[in-house]
Amino acid sequence: MLNRLRTFVAAVGLLAVAGCTGDPEDGTDGAGGPVRVTVWAWYPEFKGVVEAFNASHDDIQVDWTNVGTGPDQYAKLKTAFTAGTGAPDVAMVEFQQIPTFLILDALVDMGQYGAGEDEDLYAEWAWQQATDGDKVYAIPVDGGPMALMYRKDLFDQHGIPVPATWAEYAAAAEKMKAADPDAYIASFGSDGGWLNGLMWQAGCRPYGYSLTEARDRVKIDLTNPDCEKVVEFYGDLVERDLMATDPFFTADATAALDSGKYWTWAAAGWTPGYVAGSLKNTAGKWAVAPMPQWAEGEDAQGDWGGSTFTVTTQAKNPEAATVVARELFGTSEEAWDIGLNKAFLYPLVKDVASDPAFTGKAYEFFNGQKVNEIFVPVSEKLGDFDYTPFQDFVFGDLLDRCAEATSGTREWDTVLDATQDNVVDYAKKQGFTVE
Amino acid sequence: MRRKRMTDHPVAGALFVLPFFLVVVAFLVVPLGYAFWLSLSSRSLALGERFTGFDNYVRAFSDPVLLDGFLRVVVFGAVQIPVMLGIALAGALTLDAVTTRFAIAFRLIAFMPYAVPAVLGALMWGFLYSRTFGPFADLPTVVGGEPFDFFSTDLLLLSLGNIVTWAWTGYNMIVLYSALQAVPREMYEAALLDGATQVQIALRVKVPVIRQAIALAAIFTVIGTMQFFVEPYVMARFAPQISAGYTPNLYAYNQAFAYSDFHYSAAISFALGFVVFVAAYAFVLLTRKRRQS
Repeated sequence: MLNRLRTFVAAVGLLAVAGCTGDPEDGTDGAGGPVRVTVWAWYPEFKGVVEAFNASHDDIQVDWTNVGTGPDQYAKLKTAFTAGTGAPDVAMVEFQQIPTFLILDALVDMGQYGAGEDEDLYAEWAWQQATDGDKVYAIPVDGGPMALMYRKDLFDQHGIPVPATWAEYAAAAEKMKAADPDAYIASFGSDGGWLNGLMWQAGCRPYGYSLTEARDRVKIDLTNPDCEKVVEFYGDLVERDLMATDPFFTADATAALDSGKYWTWAAAGWTPGYVAGSLKNTAGKWAVAPMPQWAEGEDAQGDWGGSTFTVTTQAKNPEAATVVARELFGTSEEAWDIGLNKAFLYPLVKDVASDPAFTGKAYEFFNGQKVNEIFVPVSEKLGDFDYTPFQDFVFGDLLDRCAEATSGTREWDTVLDATQDNVVDYAKKQGFTVE
Repeated sequence: MRRKRMTDHPVAGALFVLPFFLVVVAFLVVPLGYAFWLSLSSRSLALGERFTGFDNYVRAFSDPVLLDGFLRVVVFGAVQIPVMLGIALAGALTLDAVTTRFAIAFRLIAFMPYAVPAVLGALMWGFLYSRTFGPFADLPTVVGGEPFDFFSTDLLLLSLGNIVTWAWTGYNMIVLYSALQAVPREMYEAALLDGATQVQIALRVKVPVIRQAIALAAIFTVIGTMQFFVEPYVMARFAPQISAGYTPNLYAYNQAFAYSDFHYSAAISFALGFVVFVAAYAFVLLTRKRRQS
């Protein structure tokens, strides 16, 4: 079993190496030809974006490969950086992974090639996560401002008001259970980014890291009350059987969303486009409302997901690669037309997000509701949020502890204590000073 | 005679061996050596790389996550291996006794799951276990019980064991069946003449004769179980209960490809390899002793 996998991994590695050695050292096609820049990305409908870039550039041409989604691509990137060869010039990297690749010395500071000029183009929170002082390590592309997707027809039918606070959300869950004992208010979906978005919204800022300030200093503060209240609130809903525990994006969870088994989903700006195609039965019955608040009258928001383009330290021509990272999406109308209307990305380019073509777009899936009128202000409201340089470990451990709690082998109010201990222990072993 | 001919053409002999030798060196010896070398140093995220000798091994053998995973695999194997080999043996004995066209078809069908790539097999079972789409989860409701949750902590090992059993029983059955085919038929005739029944022939004659083949199948299964990876790796997307260190191999994978700690991952792999080697060797010694006594 393992041998077969090893062979596969080796073969993929060889292919990646072969793909790179095929290019001449300086990344050009020989004298006078355009510079060729290799890109790894898994955006849907990305082919058209690459073609648009290549059509509008004579001096630089992009060679794009989809080597796998998220963790699959990161595994290959980490292998390539450890091996010292095999990485692409430009790689798609999600926000929460930027410090992880930074500490592997994998990312080029694009500021030295003028990327700092782009600061005003992008949502502030995104630019803050992509940069460290003057150093620009990533160019934001898409984000995931969060809002509450809910079954408007069912809420109306049973006279349940749309929750404005989390307390009302819990009350709505009780009424829902009374109306339909087989239904759940939502699922606690075993997704690090999702739980993180909820904690972000609750004002919890558990991590802190700046490579420029101190390579070996990291802040871990998962046990503060703002983080605890999220896990305990959701744990309580799970324990009372008001919330299901199917992992998101499995066939079971999708079917539950489409059958009336789940009534809500705290979703991200990209979720509507992502799920609309597979929720055929309930299309037109959903609506979007702003996220329930922890305190009445507040306007706190969170983000789930989002990604950037980075230039790797193995780039043969980092200057040309920076152009690619900045302009694949950037202000390209053609790219954003595909990004918004086919790939359903939530744009972090401010002008694209505030364009009436985006904010005024009515979605059939939401019965004509212009949902971006809700998502866009959320993105504008988002504040600073830092991640650790070992976020995979943090999310992995947090979800493992949550899984113990859902299976009844751990109390919900010990989840974050245990995660905090494990993460601090791990960080210390990795040579960090923990604050 | 033969030995003399070999030494007559040392160059030709070496040339014949060369391709095999090159492949073994390039794809076995060198990667193993590299991995071992990796395991002797550490690269902490903040401090960089440094030589640490056997520190990684000390860490591995005292790492509660790894030890938990190892214990889980041992418990899993203690149940799954006897069940699977038992079914395989029963099937092989039946096939050997029945020589109709049906038996040939059955042989083929039983072997088929082995031809399905492990990743696809695990994905397929992921759907079969589904509460929405699978046919099995709702079975208890027929008699008024709670539906099965195949991904719950209680049933997870059973669910995984079922996938492995599904995939490998047919393979082992064919291995044992082939061994039975090699047994001279006269032996059964003699037993028949002595008044043995078919069941007695199966248990008292056939099983002892193919004991070596059974031992071989058992060793391969023990090794495969210790390296348990593909099924839990694939199933993790359905079952959050599968933690990062659910099996030792999954832990090694996550250390390398999620946490970028290739050094510790190499050490885990070597430690695991060492344990597997010891276990397999002990098993061989044990079965050999039993045969001699």
